Amino acid sequence: MVLRTDGTNCDVETAYAFEQAGGSPRLVHVNQLRAGKERLSAYRILAIPGGFSYGDDVLSGKILAVELTSFLREEIRRFVAAGGLILGICNGFQVLVRTGLLPLGGIGPVRTTLMVNDSARFECRWVRLRVEESPCVFTRGAAGRVVEFQVAHGEGRFFTDTATLNEIEKRGLVTFRYVDAGGRPTQDYPDNPNGSLNAIAGITDPSGRIMGLMPHPERNILRHHHPNWRRLKDYVPAGRFIFENAVATARREG
Amino acid sequence: MLQEVRVGLLPALRDARGEEVLYEIHTALRIETVEAVRTVKVYRFEGIDAEAARFLAERLLCEVVFQEYRVNEPLITDADRLLEVAYRPGVMNPEAGSLLKAAGDLGVEGLLAADSSVEYAFYGRFTDEELATITRRLLVNETIQQVVREKPRTLLLGGERGRTETIPVRTMSDAELMALSQDRLFLNLEEMRLIQEYFRKLGRDPTDAEVEILAQTWSEHCVHKTFKARIIVDGREKKPFLTRLREATARVARPGQVLSAFVDNSGVMAFYDGWALCGKVETHNAPSAIEPYGGAATGSGGVFRDVMGTGQGAKVIASTDIFCFAPPDTPPEEVPAGCLHPHYLLRRVVAGVRDYGNRMGIPTNNGSVHFHPDFRAKPTVIVGAYGLIPATRAQKGRPRPGDAVVAVGGRTGRDGIHGATFSSAAMTDRTMTVNAQAVQIGHAIEEKRMADALLAARDEDLIRAITDCGAGGFASAVGEMGAETGALIYLDRAPLKYSGLAPWEILLSESQERMVAAVAPEDVARFMEICREHNVEATVLGEFTDTGRFEAYYGEEKVLDLEMGFLHHGLPQRVLSCSHTPGEPEEPEIPVPGDWEGVCCRVLSHLNVCSKEPIVRVYDHGVQGTNALPPYGGVGGVGPNDAVVLTPLLDRSYAAVIAHGLNPVLNRIDAYWGGIWAAAEAVSNAVAVGADPEELVLIDNFIWPVPEGEYLAQLDRAVDACVDFSLALKLPFISGKDSLSSTYRGRDAVIHIPPVLCISVFGRLPDAGKTVSADFKSAGNLLVLVGDRREEELGGSVYYDLHGELGRSVPRVDLGRLPAVFRAVHGAIASGAVLAAHDVSEGGLLTAVAEMAFGGGCGAEINLPEKTRPDFYLFNETAGCFVLELASGTAPAELFAGVPYQVLGRTVPGPELRFSHGGRPLFTVSLERLQSAYRRPMKEVFGA
Repeated sequence: MVLRTDGTNCDVETAYAFEQAGGSPRLVHVNQLRAGKERLSAYRILAIPGGFSYGDDVLSGKILAVELTSFLREEIRRFVAAGGLILGICNGFQVLVRTGLLPLGGIGPVRTTLMVNDSARFECRWVRLRVEESPCVFTRGAAGRVVEFQVAHGEGRFFTDTATLNEIEKRGLVTFRYVDAGGRPTQDYPDNPNGSLNAIAGITDPSGRIMGLMPHPERNILRHHHPNWRRLKDYVPAGRFIFENAVATARREG
Repeated sequence: MLQEVRVGLLPALRDARGEEVLYEIHTALRIETVEAVRTVKVYRFEGIDAEAARFLAERLLCEVVFQEYRVNEPLITDADRLLEVAYRPGVMNPEAGSLLKAAGDLGVEGLLAADSSVEYAFYGRFTDEELATITRRLLVNETIQQVVREKPRTLLLGGERGRTETIPVRTMSDAELMALSQDRLFLNLEEMRLIQEYFRKLGRDPTDAEVEILAQTWSEHCVHKTFKARIIVDGREKKPFLTRLREATARVARPGQVLSAFVDNSGVMAFYDGWALCGKVETHNAPSAIEPYGGAATGSGGVFRDVMGTGQGAKVIASTDIFCFAPPDTPPEEVPAGCLHPHYLLRRVVAGVRDYGNRMGIPTNNGSVHFHPDFRAKPTVIVGAYGLIPATRAQKGRPRPGDAVVAVGGRTGRDGIHGATFSSAAMTDRTMTVNAQAVQIGHAIEEKRMADALLAARDEDLIRAITDCGAGGFASAVGEMGAETGALIYLDRAPLKYSGLAPWEILLSESQERMVAAVAPEDVARFMEICREHNVEATVLGEFTDTGRFEAYYGEEKVLDLEMGFLHHGLPQRVLSCSHTPGEPEEPEIPVPGDWEGVCCRVLSHLNVCSKEPIVRVYDHGVQGTNALPPYGGVGGVGPNDAVVLTPLLDRSYAAVIAHGLNPVLNRIDAYWGGIWAAAEAVSNAVAVGADPEELVLIDNFIWPVPEGEYLAQLDRAVDACVDFSLALKLPFISGKDSLSSTYRGRDAVIHIPPVLCISVFGRLPDAGKTVSADFKSAGNLLVLVGDRREEELGGSVYYDLHGELGRSVPRVDLGRLPAVFRAVHGAIASGAVLAAHDVSEGGLLTAVAEMAFGGGCGAEINLPEKTRPDFYLFNETAGCFVLELASGTAPAELFAGVPYQVLGRTVPGPELRFSHGGRPLFTVSLERLQSAYRRPMKEVFGA
């Protein structure tokens, strides 16, 4: 299920990325869930795509997070307990941290947040990311790889308190970090486009089944997506593996 | 009592937004006494108690991991000054709706109204005057915002509804008619008399609604009086401008190519597999001049709705932005009274386009910014939108009698009243104060959910016809849709933002994010259900009739009853005459430069040449997953490309190409050759990335001073240029717009803004894989210059401008040879022989080669022919010329047989450009130095 609501705008291409990876995604409006016309339990994967849900009013993703935790708390809890996979991209990541599903896997207090970029503005640019060693199923088999994705956000600075940061690092919950040309995590702009702590671009919950990231893997699934595909011979789009891992996991377990 | 919640960052954390404000205070205002700025968000709630406010703070407004909050008390207490900025009452705050929704979701009861604002905390030893300057120039646009000096008592706006008044026009003298027109109707005496005559015949006086709707429908903005007028030039009658353009299109459009031209909200051309592409380009100059953020944002919103309101509804797939401003470093005393400073305008216009497009999820991929001091009185803000639509749904819909008139989207408020008439009027030093209500801020999410709902309704075939509520609001939308049938609406049914609107205000309001659909009676229920599922408000206002009249009621009271015929055809065709008196600017004598490196750097840092990357980076160009050629690419993402290539059908490699061209300064010298240049530049940009020159269509935008005398004659020549170009290249115009009010009349100055002709172009290509980027691909490849030019034609060039000269010799693009050049370049790219391509435009050959090298990460060595003057060779700006990097083993003589071309040299590994003249070394310049000059100007404005 690719979840939509007012202001969602990366839904179609996210659904296409799952489709290309062999999935059979459906776009579902949150109102359909609220009305009981659609049920989360009928799906194996929940993707919350990018966009500006409800205008990102108050804080990015906040209004949708409140809606999900107010109306769909039980349904989400059951979905997670039943081993459903959840992927939040950009605004979806913002929603997931604001529900509490990240980093600790359950609806609850907000432990991590995504602040206004250090540059104080929305920016759209391509960045280098290193896939980290983690329990995450979405990044399975890819640790150590350096990939290029596009970021397009104004509130993407990963931030948390020292204790939570230590816990995230200790448990290996970081899935992606912004890296420089040498493949080293960096705090330097623009390689780290927003000033995220520990160069964190994406994290998973301890079960590895819930992941959120600021960059857009769905914008790197076709050969011509890379801004310099004309300079690269035999380029294999680097965003595909995330969707392929998700679909393969869901099928294997389904 | 209102509850107030203040939320701010924990004191230990950097406040990036505050630092951004501080940066502007230091750089734009040069006020150094402010040392720090922090920001606090203020929320106000009406109808709940402090307990509930605290609950909302904890659950919705504040995240303690990085923020703190206070209820009904200050948050920051150590600042030297606090200043709260809020929207004025009546200006819609988009956040208010979300606050109400989330509070409801959290189970908070009794909440009547909510609002939010920003409190700035200033630290430092600044003076009151400095704070006043900061407030006025950076933080508050008094058109829409205000400083909150005391806590408001209520957030609820109320008021008795205004009455419908009768205007006694039948007995008015000419002076009284003109007094009625001034600042309100903007009609001339002849038009006012026609209204008088009409009502004398009817034997009654009109209502205010009737007078207003006539003024609106007859405004230049809506009816294009000038473009439809009979034109007499030098005593000889010529066809109306619009007729000339349409006839050219009729002659050159190929069968099956153009599906809809000039009749709908956008023009439509065929794409592939049963799909079509549509395009529309609009200006929003007047609103942007007085409130740049809202003006630009609602300009984007409006042109998106034009695409959404094409046929039975299109999906918007791309947006473009093209601006003209005075230089950002214009001394404040040179900015005319009643006008905003260009530095502020530029930043705020960019922010407006950014926020609307990004939130709607529409990639903004193509644009440009031009600077000239004469834009100091009024900027030019051009926004384009392009859409994808099933070919079977691409024809303009026609309502049938009995169809419901359904208003969809946002609510109606007092905002934007008189927008259509206002934008048709010249700006004056009174404009800012008298017409402030013509401006509003946008609500992109309202429009996005409406777009989602309308596409769902279209796919179920529930929409007979649809149009945007733009200028003129319901009056215009319903009046145009029902022009051939008739329409009857009940204004009291329209959902309002707040009470107190007079019926005529409901009719004329230009509140954003509204559209009107004609829906067959049997489809109304399903249509409404789809809207509800998308959180979109939809209301049946009335129905289309067969009376040929436009009737409106408010309750029992009839407030409007006009014949559609008089409304739409009552205005007599104008007769405009002019004579053409060409100016005689001098051709300057420029010495051959000694300091080549310095000249090259000055060219590259000229405002009309320099990198606009900091602007482009704030636009989302990857959303929708369709981009196949970004605005900036190559090594480090710093090399500009000429056009955008999109693949709007995700599972196909079919490409849509979008580009544009304009060069206002050339029109100062010669509007004909300036017009040809703009069109040639637009198509060159498309061809440079691989577009097929036979698979393109054109859109015109004329932004002209009030067309009187010489300016009318120049407009005539610009229209002729479009027609000649269209016929020579066999490329049809399919949409266009004119905005003929670029004149500023102040108390002591009249400023004619430079005439702007912007040509936009879009088209199709079967395979995005056969397009090229502009960055050099590797060292050792042959570089050729393809195209026809006379190097000494430097009139209006950046090079002349650096010498403070305009010159006379505008590049005259040879329309006879241009088609063959385009075909040859396209053929070479399609064959795979071209590794990189870039067209030559502002800044000339030097700039083109430098930009290719920036993105290529390698340099070039270039030999200038013996017989040429090297500066002319490097800085000539003739459109229709290309620099191409050719793959090894290709033979230019075969690729470019029959068209003018020259071998320039080769790409080289070193990061420098090496020039020789007739084989002797001329100069060498490092790419690093050039690039730093190229990036500096916008870096200074945007701080990136």
